[in-house]
This record gives sequence, C-alpha cells and structure tokens, in this order.
Amino acid sequence: MALEQNMEVSKPQCPSTGTKKRLSLRYIFVLEPELIGFIHMRRTRVDKVNAELVTLTYGTIVAQLCQDYDSNYQDVNKQLDKMGYNIGMRLIEDFLAKSGVGRCANFRETADMIAKVGFKIFLNVTPTVTNWTSDNTQFSLIFEDNPLADFVELPDDGRAQDELWFSNILCGVLRGSLEMVQMQIEAHFVSDVLRGDDTTEMRVSLVRYIEDEMPPEEE
Amino acid sequence: MSGPKIACIGVIGKADNPLHISLFPPYSDSTIEFSFLLNSCLDIFDIRCKQTSIDQDLGLLHAIDERLAAYGWLTTTGVKLLIIVDLFGQEEASAGKQAGAAINGLRDSDVKPAFRALQSAYIQLLQNPFYSPDDHVPIPGNTASSLSACQPISNLKFVADVKRIGDSWAPGSSL
Repeated sequence: MALEQNMEVSKPQCPSTGTKKRLSLRYIFVLEPELIGFIHMRRTRVDKVNAELVTLTYGTIVAQLCQDYDSNYQDVNKQLDKMGYNIGMRLIEDFLAKSGVGRCANFRETADMIAKVGFKIFLNVTPTVTNWTSDNTQFSLIFEDNPLADFVELPDDGRAQDELWFSNILCGVLRGSLEMVQMQIEAHFVSDVLRGDDTTEMRVSLVRYIEDEMPPEEE
Repeated sequence: MSGPKIACIGVIGKADNPLHISLFPPYSDSTIEFSFLLNSCLDIFDIRCKQTSIDQDLGLLHAIDERLAAYGWLTTTGVKLLIIVDLFGQEEASAGKQAGAAINGLRDSDVKPAFRALQSAYIQLLQNPFYSPDDHVPIPGNTASSLSACQPISNLKFVADVKRIGDSWAPGSSL
C-alpha cells in the first residue's frame, strides 16, 4: 500500500517522462528488486522467539501434566510423546518449506538433516549424531544443550528422577515428522542430565520405510 | 577466620510469611531469637515503604547490638531478603582488638553481592517449572492458622545455595 501511494504522488512531479504508463513502468523497474528481496526475506526468514519464553512455557506444560496425571510419570511421558507427534506431523511441512531440502538418500543422511538442520532451525541447537548400529538403522542424538530443560529441576519425590523424561515431546516430534515423510521410527530417551546422567541422549531407530499406498485405481 | 560473617539469612514472602530461614554457626540453635529479630526487621520494612519510594537495596535496617546488624533488600515482587551480619565473626572471644576495626569496616556495599547472589538464587528457584510459588502463599482470611500452614521452601538446590552464600560471604568478596 505504501509503495503504491508513493507512486501516485510522484507521478505528476516527474518532468522528464512522457506518458503516465512509462512513468509507472520506470517505478516498477526501480522497485522490483527490492520487492523481490522483501518477499524473499519474508519467505526464508526464521522468526525468532525468546528462548526463555519457550523454556518456561514448556516447563509449565510438563509441570501441569504431572499435576493432572497425579504424578503418574509414565502417563506424562506418553502424553508428551503424543503431543509431540501431533506437532511433528504439522512441523514437517514448515521444516520442508523453510529448509527447502530434498529427499534424503538414506537414513544416515536423514539423521544429519534432523540434527544439523531441523534442530538448528527450531531449537537453535545441534545435537551430535553418534552410536550408529552396523546396519545403519539406529543412532543416538546427544544434546549438549537442551533449551527445553534450562532452569529445570525434577521434582524431588523419589520417582520423577527415574520415571519422567522431561523432554519427551522431542521424541514425539521426530516420530510424527518422519512418519509424514514415509519413515516409521521409534524414538526414546536413554539418559538425561536432569536425572543426573552425564549426557542427554535420545535413541532413534528406523522401523521401516512406509511404502506409498496408492488408492486403488478405478478402471 | 575472623571478621564479619553472616549469622542469618531470611527470605520472607509478600505477606510476611517466612519462606526460608537459614542460621549459621555459632547461631545455629538460636531459632527463636532470630525469628524475633527478623520479625522486628519486617516492621522497619513497613515503615521505610510508607516513608519514601524506596530502592531495592534498603541497606542497614538497624544495628541490633554491637555485634549484630540487619540488612534488607526488597524485590519488586514484594519478597524481602534479610541478612543479619555478625560483625565480630567466630573468633570474638580471642580477638578483642580486631572487633573495633571490624565494626568500622562494614559498608552497605559489602553486603550487596550477598543480596545479589541471594536474589539470583531465588530467581533460579522461581524459573524451575516444578516450583509452585502458590504453595507458599498463605490463604487470606484466618491469618494465624494460614501463616503456619504455608510451607517453607524445601527445594534442596535453593537451600544449598543460601547455605553457600552464608558460609562463603566476607566483606569485599564476590560470590
């Protein structure tokens, strides 16, 4: 709107051009690169939110779930995984649009993509991919830094330390998003610094590639 | 080590409910004496709040006797942090001559790092999603019973932090 208004105003003031049409053409030529740049920026820019907002919001969700399930941490883990699954199913679309990457050739490439692009875009961390099995279907993600778990101390009730996986939503996100790109996986945490472990490690294993099931053609 | 030492740290909630009180040797057993002192400090908080618009740092609240002095800090959310300093330190029996120097030597700015450390410990506690500040707020109404019903902070990390601050503080040291 603002640009159009400018053009309208400038038209009569420009003495060197003849017709109205040529004037507006010139302006389009001048403006177009900027406009393209602007649109381009809008498409690729990664919107940022305050990390503490995310951390505290997620922490509150988990704390509330613990309260709602009467500290039945198995159920809390399950619920977090389910929430993550639903997020992942939608998030993959956003991921593909933002990153613009194509299909991965194999599961190793997928793992790198998750760690170096996916987590980078959405959480601004880059977990390490390691501990591959020889058949290349299982790997571990080691999180040196987990923004979801900043400030957190697990409740001191003697069970949370052994039962609750605080960041379990991430497992669900991976499961949901990879399912949308024809990979059935299983993900779970095996250690967490919140529990007093040395590292935060998530184990991801490929179950199978989901074949595209074409609807039966009607002839 | 002689010289001023923290004798007591109190964290008092908005409704003057005690959230956490730590005592340090040699006062570890004088619970009643110090809760009385802390209570009297709260009155000074009230008076200062009425008088002027005050800063977070209230500085010296009052010098209780030649040994003990109370310093106060008020956070923007109304939580009061209190530190009672023992100006003689532990070796008061043997170090009579040092006592005079110690009394002169303590400035408001010496206590400031302790308050800052204490406040950041409290902030860290609040940021933990599993800490629920509502559990520590007395229910309005019957004040006598609700005050006793509201629990002190039981978070181990916070308690340990307060203990660390109280043990390691000395004038001029950074925490």
